[in-house]
Amino acid sequence: MRTVDLEVVRGLYKKAGAARLKLDIAPRFKPGDRVKARNINPPGHTRLPRYVRGREGVVERDHGVFHLPDARVAGQDDRPQHIYSVRFSAQELWDAEAPSEDSLNIDLWDDYLDSA
Amino acid sequence: MGSGMSSNAIRGPDSETALRVKALESLLLEKGLIETAAIDELIELFENRLGPWNGAKVVARAWTDPDYKTRLLQDGTAAIAEMGFEAVQGEEMVVVENTADVHNIVVCTLCSCFPWATLGLPPVWYKSAPYRARTASDPRGVLREFGTEISEDTKVRVWDSNAELRYMVLPERPAGTERLDETALAELVTRDSMIGVSKVARPD
Repeated sequence: MRTVDLEVVRGLYKKAGAARLKLDIAPRFKPGDRVKARNINPPGHTRLPRYVRGREGVVERDHGVFHLPDARVAGQDDRPQHIYSVRFSAQELWDAEAPSEDSLNIDLWDDYLDSA
Repeated sequence: MGSGMSSNAIRGPDSETALRVKALESLLLEKGLIETAAIDELIELFENRLGPWNGAKVVARAWTDPDYKTRLLQDGTAAIAEMGFEAVQGEEMVVVENTADVHNIVVCTLCSCFPWATLGLPPVWYKSAPYRARTASDPRGVLREFGTEISEDTKVRVWDSNAELRYMVLPERPAGTERLDETALAELVTRDSMIGVSKVARPD
């Protein structure tokens, strides 16, 4: 195991863990697209929380290409793909009585989404 | 929401936690897994280099420099790096702007993701299960508990930072600060206002 020395700590001042990948992968969606989060229940790690599964939202921003943590944690291929900021209304997620203009944005990978 | 960190078992030089940390430090040094200089540098990093004073400078500049604000909202990562704030857990930054019409609040429902480079380490309540669950489902209720009333005409937008991107709120510049310069403005900006649980108060 490598000794944690000054050089290791000074690495933290830099963007050492930059996660964005410079890969030319086509996005499946574009801002404005209506999408539905898949209702998946994987036994392992996922970044798709239950509260958005099966819910419909709108793609607001394409963040670019990143690894898919679900695959990476499982020791599989990294499955690089686009992440989007997807906006869901509070009424869609929680309560038909919620303020109609309130909303939640969450970052979702291509593999988590279908067209709605 | 209490911090839960006030008991003697946790704080103080002879507390259980302090003794455990000392024991761990001795063991790591004895086994050659870490160097003393590296420990000092880590403490320097988290106590003095990474903290909300960085984010406050970004906010104050955005309030006084419209071109910078445009860059900050378009590409948070680059605009924050421009100010010299680059560090672990700040690699991909998104900055969202509070206005009279929109109030933004940041949460990490899956764990405790937080923009270290601009805000430092997260407060204990940010990592707590109640904050994480209720900010997503009842943000106005959580805001009220922080003493922040949001009018019905203002939209509340929650940002769940579940991926590799880190979020920071650009709070509204309070009235009565027209004559303050960037340095004085930065002193008004709190950590909580950049998480979005409170607003920046106008100066006395």
